[in-house]
Amino acid sequence: MRGEMKVLIIDDEEDTRQICSMSLGLIGGDQVLEAASGQEGLALAADQQPDVIILDLIMPDMDGAETLQKLRQNPDTAGIPVIFLTVKGMFSEFERLKSLGALAVLTKPFDPVQLSAQIQGILNAAKA
Amino acid sequence: MRLNLKLSHKGLILVSVPLIFELIFLATLTALLRQAEIEVQRQVRSKAIISQANTLSKLFYDAGVAMGGYSITKSPLFSDRYDKIVRQIPQDLNELKNLVGDNARQQQILQNLQGITITGLKILNEAKAAIDDNRVDVAQFRARHMYKEIRSLADRLQDELRGLTEDERKIESEGPEAQNRSRATVKIFLVVGVVFNVLLAVALALFFSRGIGKRLNVLTDNTIRLARGEPLNDPLTGSDEIAHLDGVFHSMADALIEANRKERAIIENAVDVICSIDVDGKFVAVSPACFNVWGYKPEELMGRRFIELVLPEDHQETIRSVRAVRAEKGRTQFENRTRRKDGSIVTVLWSTYWSETERSMFCVAHDITQRKLAEEAIKASEMRIRTIIENMLVGLIIVTREGIIESINPSSERMFGYRAEELVGKHLMTLFHDSTLFAVTSAQDCKNFMEGVFQKSLNRVGEFDALKRIGEDFPIEMSLSELETAEGKRYLANILDVSERREVERLKKEFVSTVSHELRTPLTSIRGSLTLLNVGALGALPDQAKKVVGIAERNTIRLITLINDILDIEKLESGKLDMVLDTIPLSNVLERSDQAVRAFAEQNGIRLEMTPTPASVYADGDRLVQVLVNLISNAVKFSPKGAAVTITVEEIPNWVEVKVIDRGRGIPAKYKGLLFQRFQQVEASDSRKKGGTGLGLAICKGIIEAHSGNIGVESEEGKGSVFWFRIPPASSRHLLEQKPAQTLSTAPPPQGVAINQHGQTTQNALAGKEDKLVS
Repeated sequence: MRGEMKVLIIDDEEDTRQICSMSLGLIGGDQVLEAASGQEGLALAADQQPDVIILDLIMPDMDGAETLQKLRQNPDTAGIPVIFLTVKGMFSEFERLKSLGALAVLTKPFDPVQLSAQIQGILNAAKA
Repeated sequence: MRLNLKLSHKGLILVSVPLIFELIFLATLTALLRQAEIEVQRQVRSKAIISQANTLSKLFYDAGVAMGGYSITKSPLFSDRYDKIVRQIPQDLNELKNLVGDNARQQQILQNLQGITITGLKILNEAKAAIDDNRVDVAQFRARHMYKEIRSLADRLQDELRGLTEDERKIESEGPEAQNRSRATVKIFLVVGVVFNVLLAVALALFFSRGIGKRLNVLTDNTIRLARGEPLNDPLTGSDEIAHLDGVFHSMADALIEANRKERAIIENAVDVICSIDVDGKFVAVSPACFNVWGYKPEELMGRRFIELVLPEDHQETIRSVRAVRAEKGRTQFENRTRRKDGSIVTVLWSTYWSETERSMFCVAHDITQRKLAEEAIKASEMRIRTIIENMLVGLIIVTREGIIESINPSSERMFGYRAEELVGKHLMTLFHDSTLFAVTSAQDCKNFMEGVFQKSLNRVGEFDALKRIGEDFPIEMSLSELETAEGKRYLANILDVSERREVERLKKEFVSTVSHELRTPLTSIRGSLTLLNVGALGALPDQAKKVVGIAERNTIRLITLINDILDIEKLESGKLDMVLDTIPLSNVLERSDQAVRAFAEQNGIRLEMTPTPASVYADGDRLVQVLVNLISNAVKFSPKGAAVTITVEEIPNWVEVKVIDRGRGIPAKYKGLLFQRFQQVEASDSRKKGGTGLGLAICKGIIEAHSGNIGVESEEGKGSVFWFRIPPASSRHLLEQKPAQTLSTAPPPQGVAINQHGQTTQNALAGKEDKLVS
C-alpha cells in the first residue's frame, strides 16, 4: 500500500481508533488522523482535508449520521469520501447511511489485515 | 208408469188437479143456477102477461059496458068512464107488448090483438060519435051492429087473450118441471163432483206419498247402514230432491269411508304412539308405533295401566299432569320418562285430550329422547362456549353494523375498565383514541369511524389505538368477523391488548442493539489487537507467545461469529432479516464466495472446483454468498486433506440448483433431519474440533426459504455429502414480487439504491462475512 493516503478516523472509542489506526498503518506509510467526537472530527476534516474519513455511527452528543450531514454542509469538507464503520448490522441502516452520502458501510469487528485493502478498494471503485 | 217429477211438481199436481176440477164444477153449478133463475123470471113474466091479458079483456068489456051505459043515459059519467078506459087500453096493450118481448107466437097474437083492439075502439068511437050527434038510431043501429061486432071482437080478443094466457100457462106449467129437473141435476152434480174430487185427491196423495215414503225409507236405511258400517243401498233413480239427497249421502259416505281409511292408515303408520286410555288409566287402544317406542306390541299393552310404563320417579308428576288434563277438559301436554321393554329409558311428550263423553284420554305419545339429548348437548355446548367466552383472555365485543355495542365479555371489561352494562348501547368509538378527536355524538363521525374499522379489520387483523376508561390509550389488535343472528348482521370484534407485546418487542430490539454494540465494540479492540500481534505488526513474538495469541485470536473470531449468527437467527425468526432482492448473475455469487473461502480452503489443503455458469437468479447476492460460503466452509472442514470440494450449478425447470459436493465422512441418516436445526452438529465434539456455532445451516435454511427456495442434503456415510439449495431463476421474478411480504422477510427497497456499486457490495460482503470463513 502506498503511503500517500491521509485518513481521518472519527470514533469515540480510543481503543477502536488505535486498532484502526494501526491496522491502516500495518503496511506502513498511511497518514492517520484521529478525532474522538463529531465536533473534533469536523474541525480536523476542514483543517487537514483528509483523502477519506472513517466515521463511527454511534457516538454520544453528535452521532455519525449528524456528523456526515455537517461535513456535507461545509463546502470545505463536502467532497471528502466518508466510509462508515459500525457495529450495527442492519442492512436497512446501511441503505439509510448511503442515502445520506456515505460511500460505503463497513462493520466492526473488522479484520485489521484486510481493512486497508478494503478502503483502498472502495476508493478505487468510487473513482472508476 | 214412472214419472221423473220433483217433489215440488208433485205437490203442485196434488193441489192443482183438484183445484181445476173444483173450478169446472163451480162453473157448471153457476150455469145451472143461472138457468133456474131465468126460468123463474120467465114464470113471473108469464104470470104478468096472463094478468095483463085479463085486465085488457076486462077493459074492453068495461068499455062496451060504458058505451052501452052512455048510449042509454048519455050520462057523462059513462062517457068519462068510457074515455078513461079508451085511454087505458093502448097503455095496457103497450105494457103487454113489453111483457111478451120476442116470443114470435105471442107477438103474432099480440098483433092480432092490437088489430082487434083498434077496430073495436074505432067502432066504439063511431058509436060514441053517433050518440053525441044524437043520432040515436044510427047509433042504436050501429050499436047493435057494433055490439055484435064488438062482441065478436071481444070474443076474438077473449080468444086471443086466452090463447096468450094459455100459451103462458103452458109455458108456466112447463117451468117447475124444468126447474125440478135442473135441481136434481145440480144435486147429482154436487154429490158426484165432491166424491170425485175427494177420490182424486186421495188417489194423488196415495200415489205420491207411496213414492216419497219408499224413497225416504231407503234414505233412513242408508243412514243406519252407514252408522253400522254396512254397504249402502243402490243409489235412488230419478231426479227429485230425494234422489239428489241420496246422491249426496252416497258421496258423503264415500268421503267418510275414505277419511276413515286415511285415518286408519295414519294411525297405523304414525311414528308417534296414538292411544286412548280409559278412566282407570288402562290402554284401550294403542297404535302399532308402540313397538318402536317401547318395544311392546299393541296387544301386550291393551288393558295394562299406562303408569306401569312410567319411571317410578316420574309417577307423582305424571299423576298430577293426568289430573290436570281431566280438569282442563281440553288439550294438554306433559313430559315424562318411560321404560322400554328392554329397560332403556325413553322420554315421551304426551299430547292429550280428555273426552268427558267417552270418559277416556286420547293421547299422542311422541318419543323426544333424541331431542332431549340434543337439547342437553346444545345446552352443554352453550354452557361450554359461554364459559370459554367468559374466561377468554381475548376481548370479545359484539357490535351492530352501525357500531353500537351489544355485548362484551369480562376480558373486554378488564381491558377497557368499564362494566358491561355501562358499554351496552354505546358506540364502539367510545373505546378508541379516536373518540378524543371526534364526537361519539356525531352520526357522521361514527359512520366514518366504522368505515375505517371495517376497512382495517374486517376479516383481518388491524392495529388500533384504544382508550381506557381512565383516559389512558393503549395499542390493540382487532379483527372483525361477521355474524348472522336472528336480529340481523352483527360483528364480532376480537380484541387483543398488545401493549405488553409491544413493550417486549421494544425491549428485545433494545437488547439486540445493546448486545451488538456493547459486545462488538470491545471485541473489535480485542480482535484487532490479537491479529496485529499475531501477524507480527508489533514485532516478532516468541513461538510460545505466538501460539497463545493465535488461540486467543481464533476464539475471539469464534465469539464474534457466534454473536453474528445469533443476531441473524433472531432476525430470521422475527422476519426482520434484511434482504435486497435483485436479478443477479450467479457467477458473481460463486466468484465472491470463492474469494472468501479460497484462503481457508488452501490452509486446509482442499481444492475448490467451480465451473462458470450463465444462470442468473432473483436474490439477495450478499445473503446467497453467506449461504454458499457457509456450505463450502463446512465442506472444507469435513474433507480429508488433498480432496476436492466441487460446486456445480444446474438450471432445472423453475429452479436454479446449486450443489456443494465433498468427499468427507458423510452424515449418518439419523442426523439428516436434525442438521438444519439450531445448535445441531453430528458430533458434540465437532464444535470444538472444527469450530462453528451449530447455527450456520439453520441460517442457510432461513435465508433460502426467505427466497422461496429449498435446501437439503444427500449423503452416504463414508463417501461424502452433497448439500444443495434451489432458488427461483431470474425469470420468475414477477411471481416472487407478487408474493406477500412475509415470504420474503423484507420487501425489496427501490432499485438502484441497494447494490449500486459492484465493487462495494463485494467488499461489503467480505467485510461482513469473512469472519465466518474460519468458523
